[in-house]
Amino acid sequence: MAKRSVWSDNRFWQRSAAWVTGFAAVLLIWLTFDTSAQISMGTDADLKNGVTKRVPGPTVINYKITYEMDTKRGHEIPVIGEKELFFGRDDYSEEEAGALLHLGKLGSQVKNCMDCHTLLGNGAYYAPDLTKAWLDPAWGPEGSLQAMTGKETKEEAMAEFLQHPSQYPTHERMMPNLGITAEEAKGLVSFLKHMSSIDTNGFPRNFGKIQGAVHGK
Amino acid sequence: MFEPFVDVVPSFFGWLNQGPLTLTIFLHTVIILPMIWIYRQEKKRIENEG
Repeated sequence: MAKRSVWSDNRFWQRSAAWVTGFAAVLLIWLTFDTSAQISMGTDADLKNGVTKRVPGPTVINYKITYEMDTKRGHEIPVIGEKELFFGRDDYSEEEAGALLHLGKLGSQVKNCMDCHTLLGNGAYYAPDLTKAWLDPAWGPEGSLQAMTGKETKEEAMAEFLQHPSQYPTHERMMPNLGITAEEAKGLVSFLKHMSSIDTNGFPRNFGKIQGAVHGK
Repeated sequence: MFEPFVDVVPSFFGWLNQGPLTLTIFLHTVIILPMIWIYRQEKKRIENEG
């Protein structure tokens, strides 16, 4: 009788497959809980005490957010700084800020922003990536988009654009008028400001830095 | 070869992602080494049956 090989033996493959499947299942369940902890939203107290969270609490809209190169990590990260007026206030309570973000989130879903834009990696690239839109220099005090709307602040400029997008020449693919109200626009801008404060490990890469791209031209 | 751990929140899965070697070593430890162990057990069993 020919010598039996372990490689052609059923039991070897069965036991190997059972081990890998079982271990992978445990690992994936662990990964699920690990991810839930990593993406859970911080609180107002975290922000006041300087606790770093990947997703800061809603009251982050009371603070100035900048995008700074972290040489250790090799990409830009959002840095939460001093208090900053947002639509004339810097004292939004957790409830007020949460309600604004909620309105903005629902608004972004109702108006189907993702049909054209990308939010946190989900959506399309027909129009600019909105993940870090709040940090786009073009909306800043020296930026062309803020100048285009004639508004004094970034949030007012963005809200004005959202309410009357078809009035402003942006680029060839102009945003259509979606009938966004002033209150919805305020919610959407707070939603975008909060989203820009999320640590996305540098996504999207080189945002606002690429010459000739849609942003930072 | 080994990148320093720089994630904002320390995590086992963050460590796995720091570079190609960490993941490779991990997968070899949990898949290849147990398979070598199973192989030896099965070889012994087949020899005993023979």
